[in-house]
Amino acid sequence: MADTLHIEPGLTPKRRGRASTTLILFGVLAVMVAVFSSLSKDFYSFQNISTMLTNVSFSGIVAGTLTLVMITGGLDISIGGNIALTSCLVAYLFNLTPPVPGWALVPIALALGAAIGAFNGFFITRLDLNPIITTLGTMAVARGLGYVLTKARSILIMEDVTGFIGRTVVPGIQIPIPLILFAVIFTMLFFLLSRSKFGRKVYVIGANPAAARVSGIKVKRVKFILYLMSGIAASLSGLILTGQTAVGMPQHANGMELDVITAILLGGTALAGGKGSILGTLAGVLILGVLYNGFTMIGFRYVHIRVFQGVLLILIVALYELRDRKKY
Amino acid sequence: MEQPLLEMRNISKQFPGVQALKDVSIDLHAGEVLGLVGENGAGKSTLIKILAGDYRADAGDILINGRKVYFRSPSDAAEMGIRFIYQELITLDTLTVTENLFVGRMPRRKGLGTIDWKAANEGARQVLQRMNIDIDPRTVVGDLTVHQKQVLEIAKAINKKATILVMDEPTAALGEEDTQSLFRIITGLKEQGVGVIHISHRLKEVFEITDRVTVLRDGQKIGTVKTADADMTQLISMMVGRELAEFYPKRDLPLGNTLMEVKDLTIDGIIDRISFSVRTGEIVGLFGLLGSGRMNVLRALYGLDDTSGGQIIVNGTPVLISGPSDALSNGIGYMPIDRKLEGLALTLPVSSNITMANIDHIGGGFVLNRRLERQRAEKWVEDVSIRTPDIGTDANSLSGGNQQKIVLAKLLETGSKMFLMNEPTRGIDVGAKVDIYRMMENLCEAGAGIVMISSELPEMLSMADRILVIAGGRVSAEFSRQEATQEKLLHATTL
Repeated sequence: MADTLHIEPGLTPKRRGRASTTLILFGVLAVMVAVFSSLSKDFYSFQNISTMLTNVSFSGIVAGTLTLVMITGGLDISIGGNIALTSCLVAYLFNLTPPVPGWALVPIALALGAAIGAFNGFFITRLDLNPIITTLGTMAVARGLGYVLTKARSILIMEDVTGFIGRTVVPGIQIPIPLILFAVIFTMLFFLLSRSKFGRKVYVIGANPAAARVSGIKVKRVKFILYLMSGIAASLSGLILTGQTAVGMPQHANGMELDVITAILLGGTALAGGKGSILGTLAGVLILGVLYNGFTMIGFRYVHIRVFQGVLLILIVALYELRDRKKY
Repeated sequence: MEQPLLEMRNISKQFPGVQALKDVSIDLHAGEVLGLVGENGAGKSTLIKILAGDYRADAGDILINGRKVYFRSPSDAAEMGIRFIYQELITLDTLTVTENLFVGRMPRRKGLGTIDWKAANEGARQVLQRMNIDIDPRTVVGDLTVHQKQVLEIAKAINKKATILVMDEPTAALGEEDTQSLFRIITGLKEQGVGVIHISHRLKEVFEITDRVTVLRDGQKIGTVKTADADMTQLISMMVGRELAEFYPKRDLPLGNTLMEVKDLTIDGIIDRISFSVRTGEIVGLFGLLGSGRMNVLRALYGLDDTSGGQIIVNGTPVLISGPSDALSNGIGYMPIDRKLEGLALTLPVSSNITMANIDHIGGGFVLNRRLERQRAEKWVEDVSIRTPDIGTDANSLSGGNQQKIVLAKLLETGSKMFLMNEPTRGIDVGAKVDIYRMMENLCEAGAGIVMISSELPEMLSMADRILVIAGGRVSAEFSRQEATQEKLLHATTL
């Protein structure tokens, strides 16, 4: 058209982007660190921060991949069960006579995670089942198999490879291996989601799956890959936890879905899909970690913090909901 | 002059940064149909939302039968007998017709207070009879056609006593025949003294059904005219504020080689051995009633519906299309009928929407080249004249016409040669329509071919070089542009 571009009524530039939400979250994080540091002398020590970050790594890795799943509008709550079964299987295999060698345990564990992820992905994409129900089922199956495998006992596993993954601190820089894994995985996921073609497809699928399909995006394939990734990430977390605790047991990671989902929602990912970011999830994971650690430091007990966390989850969802619903 | 049923006086409404309405007044008399027209963004919806109590006006009064009223919420408006029918239907699809009609006030048996199904179904039957519609009240609403649902919404709206009925684009999803039967219902309501406000982009309908028309532009009232005294050109120039040189910029372009050939395309029970071909520079129209199978042809060609037989030949080579990605890689692009449902990711920025069907080609390898994406998006925003503050704006906040242009831009970005367009100008304003027609002509000039479905007859007759009429899943007739007339097309749908 020949006439000049003019702004129609109803067109106000909207740039309430992910960046600003994430920025606010990191601000909140900084304030929390400052408050806890002033309340407790031990909080702001290298030892404590390092311990806290190591604890965070284990759930953070899972939260990273689950963020991608949730941006497509999906969900994977089998992660806790997956972690428990991984630890049980690794400990079981190591305690056989003769024991399965340490170098073989890692690929076996990751293959187990991949198998659980593929199982979820198959039922959710090919048969179009509800992801919550499917992964709820998988969670029960995985944890149940863990009990079967260990006869409901804890199995001690003093083994070098898992010990290396879970407990080693890199000499010189004093950074634990889980934290390095966490950093590497988050960097990779950050580039995957916000810089790659695959990441763009993830957003499009979450925003409108029907339009994604019409646009030639292979929706089922992308979703399948994400569930696969989620499964593998969970088994990696399982290895870390096994190494940290030196124990394989079916009660591992009980209820960790709550931690992970709280962190992701806190980071600004929408349950309905289409919105979310890796940096947001990073902020969510760290805030939750500082919250647990800080409150413990100033004398609260785990159960109390748990209550607080539940309330926090509902508050976050309500807040984001109100913001999105803002009308004239 | 008699007392108007409804008056809205000097209504103004400001949104952050935008004056949506400025000093707008309208009046509606009993037994009258008032048309409300204007381009998208002109302020029609805002005005209606103020009447409904969804928004509150910054200034101005609403008078009903001469008395000032204040609406704080939609239920206040409903209490005054004002009923609304929106383009998006809000039927309860898993319940029956009866339950939809009496929702919230199902008749109950005395004593236990259980639902009196016999009385309810009987009551529903009477309501439906009064409206001249033949539906079993026990039908589950999800099984009804769009038209039947729409009629049901109207029945529901006037079932409770209605004095004013407001319809926002009620015919957007309807074909010619269903529109006519909707108009018969509106005429019936008029005779009962109901005042009707009818919002539509289809000017032909405005001339058919309204008594007076009020035109809005940029939040201001341009004027109100008696429909009988007005003509199309006058109304359009009032709406757009300038003369449109030609509504259908059709050019006589030379046709080239055969671009796509469809042989015996069949979907069991839906379409039966459909064959046709498209040449470069040609627009082929598929015309038919709802349920004729014309949409299935387009969807099957794009790989959205499974076929049970037939062959598709592109540039002389038979191709296998089992999904949209196959179609795209063979240079076939598709414009869906519903941009919100299948066209756009509304919560994502304009730029992401434009490149959405071409992600794999934005940069080499694994990485999405964001600079290239910006360049591509900016190019299309200019070429298709999409009015947006910038390419980072969410598609959500653009008007319908501009959203439709994004869908077109997305299609162009794929570099396709063969375009399948399912109602390319559905529910958009006249200015945007002309822009899209012009783009279609430009595409043809550049050697593309288009297959178009349209339920707007004037559009079909003016834009298509050749029209195939689809009836009962088969091609029942074929007309060249010169031969085709409205009567011939409608007659062929009955063959």
